[in-house]
Amino acid sequence: MGIQEQYRSEAAALLSSGEVKLVIGFGAGSTADRRRPLFARTPEEAQKFVLDAACIANLSTYLVAEGLLSDGKKVGVFLKPDGIRSVNILISEAQLKPEQVVILGYAIESGKDVAALEGRNISDFSIGEKIRKLTPPPHVIEAAEKIEAMSAEERFEYWKEEFSKCIKCYACRQVCPMCYCRRCIVDVNQPQWVSTSSHTLGNFEWNLVRAFHLAGRCASCGACDRACPVNIPLRLVNYRMGKEVRSAFDYVAGENSDQKPVLASFKQDDPETFIL
Amino acid sequence: MSDPFEPKIVAFVCTYCTYAGADLAGTSRLKYAPNVRIVRLPCTGRISPMFILKALQKGADSVLVSGCHPGDCHFTSGNYHARRRWTVFRALLSFTGIPEERIRFSWISAAEGAKFAELINEITDDTRKLGPFTQYQELQKVIETQSSY
Repeated sequence: MGIQEQYRSEAAALLSSGEVKLVIGFGAGSTADRRRPLFARTPEEAQKFVLDAACIANLSTYLVAEGLLSDGKKVGVFLKPDGIRSVNILISEAQLKPEQVVILGYAIESGKDVAALEGRNISDFSIGEKIRKLTPPPHVIEAAEKIEAMSAEERFEYWKEEFSKCIKCYACRQVCPMCYCRRCIVDVNQPQWVSTSSHTLGNFEWNLVRAFHLAGRCASCGACDRACPVNIPLRLVNYRMGKEVRSAFDYVAGENSDQKPVLASFKQDDPETFIL
Repeated sequence: MSDPFEPKIVAFVCTYCTYAGADLAGTSRLKYAPNVRIVRLPCTGRISPMFILKALQKGADSVLVSGCHPGDCHFTSGNYHARRRWTVFRALLSFTGIPEERIRFSWISAAEGAKFAELINEITDDTRKLGPFTQYQELQKVIETQSSY
């Protein structure tokens, strides 16, 4: 029995026993190589689940949908290690209750094979060690290093070029599991922090704010990169921010669900070489 | 543009330490550059990085952010939280090419009027050497000339 059939029957069993009210997984997409989220509420619907190497989206983003978990019932969700990491972060930020999430874990190995991950509750997955060793794809590191090697002017020009493409569709925000604010700063118009039209300056503001709000919270799932319709390398900024919190505060987001969010905690001897 | 360049500096300060320090500089009759515009806030923990970006966007050439020394915060830990935020924010600015040297951070207590006056003079001189901060202002001009927005 392949992993797809195994997880279909597990999802069906979870639903028919009433343990979960909903299972979030993948269904067939519009083309052969694409998958789309499938929300199964009955065991019959669970038979439509697809699980293969094309299931790359981070479904944890649906867990923070407004009102989904407010009835105290459980929800099952298909998650890769980066999704499990997101759930760790969401729990540490008090956005989820660990007991409400049933995880159907899987890993995509060498880009094609899908393997099941042991465990159902978030506490079953000790991914801390693995995350510490985890490195983003080489092209991300390479691109970030290339930018770091530039002069400040060149960097500004580079990002000006990239951000000028932004159409402010906020797909990066919608797809991100960490962007769960009920009222995002860009939707606030008194005061209007970020201008609504998509000119380069406003785009700079939006993308800087987005990156700053994700500093030390990004699970590096790359969903923002994939969602961006104009291919801005959003992941690079997130990667750089993650690198900074790691080097300055020895903090890696999503190692476990007990950690305190990095910007909501402090140590008295945090580095401050730049402060006069 | 025949006028000599006078830098505009915006200082975000906390009311309990640096603002009192600036006050002391005044009551001590210390002379410092008049280029600084002080914005008083309850605590450095109240200073959102948005403030800094907005100041630069609206025409500031340099920004100073200043508050109580570690351990002296009126709210116990506001400045510790702010310090972490600044560390990350500086990395972000650096990565996106916004010149870091235009944004200064300092701790100035209510007793350090002289330090405040010196720092303002120093920042004014440095900014004068750096020249106006044009990168953002040029982008701003583009918006203003495109009335279709």
